[in-house]
Amino acid sequence: MKYFGKKLIAMAVTILVVSFLVFLAFAVIPGDPAISMLGTEATPERVAALREEMGLNQPLLVRYFSWVAGVLHGDFGTSYSYQMSVTEMIGDKIPVTLMLTLLSFLIMLVISIPLGIFTARHEGGKADRFIYIVNQIIMAIPPFFSGILITLLFGIILRWFTPGGYVSYDVNFGQFVAYLFFPALAIALPKAAMAVKLLRTSVASQVKMDYTRTAYSRGNTTKDVFYRHILKNALIPVITFLGMTLADMVAGSIIIEQVFNVPGLGRILLTSIQNRDYPVVQAIIVCIAFLVIFVNFLVDIAYRAIDPRITLD
Amino acid sequence: MKTKVLKTVLLALVCSTLTIALGACSGDKASENSSQITIGIPQDLEDSLDPHKSVAAGTKEVLFNVFEGLVKPDSNGDFIPAVAESYDISEDAKTYTFSLREGVTFHDGSQVTAEDVKYSIDRCAGTDGSAPLIEAYSNIDSVNIKDEKTVEIVLKEPDTEFLAYMTTAIIPESNENPDTNPIGTGPYKYVSRSPQENIILEKYDGYWGTPANIERVVYRIIANADSIVMNLLGGSVDMFVRLTDAQAKELEGSDFNILEGTMNLVQAVYLNNAKEPFNDVRVRQALSYAIDRTQIMEMVSDGKGTEVGSSMFPAFDKYYMEELNDVYSQDFEKAKELLAEAGYPDGFSFTLTVPSNYQQHVDTAQVVAEQLKNIGVTANINLVEWDSWLSDVYADRNFEATIVGIDASTMTASAMLERFQTDASRNFINFSSSAYDEAFRKAKASVDDEEKTAYYKECETILAEEAANVYIQDLPQFVALNKKFGGYEFYPLYVQDIAKLYFVDENNE
Repeated sequence: MKYFGKKLIAMAVTILVVSFLVFLAFAVIPGDPAISMLGTEATPERVAALREEMGLNQPLLVRYFSWVAGVLHGDFGTSYSYQMSVTEMIGDKIPVTLMLTLLSFLIMLVISIPLGIFTARHEGGKADRFIYIVNQIIMAIPPFFSGILITLLFGIILRWFTPGGYVSYDVNFGQFVAYLFFPALAIALPKAAMAVKLLRTSVASQVKMDYTRTAYSRGNTTKDVFYRHILKNALIPVITFLGMTLADMVAGSIIIEQVFNVPGLGRILLTSIQNRDYPVVQAIIVCIAFLVIFVNFLVDIAYRAIDPRITLD
Repeated sequence: MKTKVLKTVLLALVCSTLTIALGACSGDKASENSSQITIGIPQDLEDSLDPHKSVAAGTKEVLFNVFEGLVKPDSNGDFIPAVAESYDISEDAKTYTFSLREGVTFHDGSQVTAEDVKYSIDRCAGTDGSAPLIEAYSNIDSVNIKDEKTVEIVLKEPDTEFLAYMTTAIIPESNENPDTNPIGTGPYKYVSRSPQENIILEKYDGYWGTPANIERVVYRIIANADSIVMNLLGGSVDMFVRLTDAQAKELEGSDFNILEGTMNLVQAVYLNNAKEPFNDVRVRQALSYAIDRTQIMEMVSDGKGTEVGSSMFPAFDKYYMEELNDVYSQDFEKAKELLAEAGYPDGFSFTLTVPSNYQQHVDTAQVVAEQLKNIGVTANINLVEWDSWLSDVYADRNFEATIVGIDASTMTASAMLERFQTDASRNFINFSSSAYDEAFRKAKASVDDEEKTAYYKECETILAEEAANVYIQDLPQFVALNKKFGGYEFYPLYVQDIAKLYFVDENNE
């Protein structure tokens, strides 16, 4: 219980700090939301009236605390540019980004764990060397570029999906997931390559440990030792990596959403920054911060499940 | 035991991923609607949907299909009666009387009343004390309901061009959420929007005029310029209206017709006339002598585009003065002479601020910078995002020179020329000429069309001779339309008339 209390406080502090930094950042960068909204039809009078209406003339701290007060009441405000409720706007997009991240994570697991185990068990073999080279190449390709390649190959040449043919989850869930598979693949590939490499190295270092020799000497079969002793210990750093990756994937999806024309949180975040639409940016940053903290929490739990010696305090 | 668990989990993961992957293979084009058009737009309407509040050209372009004014523009730039059936302009051009059309209904089914008309126009004019939406509306003195079907608008000063502003949307007074629930009288009604994803319109069956042909319109946002062509080729988008020359070329030989028009704007190197060295007319003229428009067009869009020599584009055929294109023709010697006279015998360098989201302007800037080198002038190109441009260049006027295109918000000469008056709030280039102010004032006040036109032309001539800006061109516009569709019409304004589009194989209906 103490653990959860600590985590909750850490979460609250992190979110406060992050959101305040965003507030500060917007105070520093050029651009004014009122001018942005009025565009080329801005006249000084209209800008002044709009700034007043939006409360932009108040000091930074006052604005920040009134925002915090709103959030505590579950009110993230109204988007400057869309004039829609922020909660409604973002609530609509969270499932998209979550599904994209989840799919990427799944694809990464499916590729990396078996392949990692395979290369570790066949270290130095022909297959291992081949996988090693492919891995290096994939790691070197940035996701947005693999995204373009995937679109070209599966979208234009093979026609397995229609580029830009995104279908919303409330229209057809199957097609929604199907469309997201390809962007997810683009996000997952480089991460999977890294995970394979990490698992292989991690296993290799465990093989040399004393306990491994002891396990063999007690008459266990190779397979037994591998799965019951080595793999369990080798997985700990991999899980740390996976946790970090999951958080990183949320960020990675921002770029991939652009390439595949997926209207997720990333797209909204990007355009909101361009439009100086602070309420939306704030809310999304808070969501992402929350997600990162939550993933860390899951990682902690996973440690404990794999290695009972690790306590959660 | 543990091994088994691990294996089961892995197996489950593999299975689920495979299912998804297989699902993906069969997932395309299942929900194609036979009477639907999907139009790609490069930017979402990051804007209120209230037609009186929205300002972005991209928003107006879409809302053109949802809202109508008392009159509306046609593709020739003339005004045709819409919510009004007819109008009468008093001889002194101060009283405009509109007779409302019988049987015009809003998308919620209610009748358009004289009260709604008064409400809409009052709202724009800011007669309740708030700032008027655009300067022209501040001329409205009062809006009077004469009877159920007649509304009279009285102006403070005579204005023969005022009809152009009566294209402003008529909206129902009863609508409580005009920001998110737009209700108009146009051929299409608003269905839904999802930020950064789409906007959906549906044909309005109660439309008073010629009904639309296509049932459903989906505007799909394609924010990434690199994927526009892929989306078109892949079949997820039927139409895209603002392609670059390069994109249009990539679509050659595909299922798309490429239509070519003009963007109806004036692209120029806009100079800050209040900043040194551009406060000296000789320097501005020198720059004008240094550039070659034909070469710019050649480099930027393969020779397409139309030259302009002042702040008026050719679609305004009544006001456009082709002869002004020849005020300056490339002459490096003359340019250097002028620079020397102005005290810059060795040239100078300046910052050319360009909004990075407009590829054509960025490309133009590069050619211009090269051409200016010939007279010893160095232009340092500074790419900024659109928002910084709006606040730094446009609002704060803190710049030396910039390349953008300026369009007209209404089909009037004053929409193009108003901003160059010394005190105009939108005069971001700080142009100041008492002769210009005088000519513009006279043009505005004149009720005789011929005289008015002559004064406007005088304004244009002053802009050219004073070299207020280095005028370049009206950019070409390329529209890709799937061969399934026909009926696309170019307007002299920034609008897309979807109601005129039809399916090619059912066009005899």
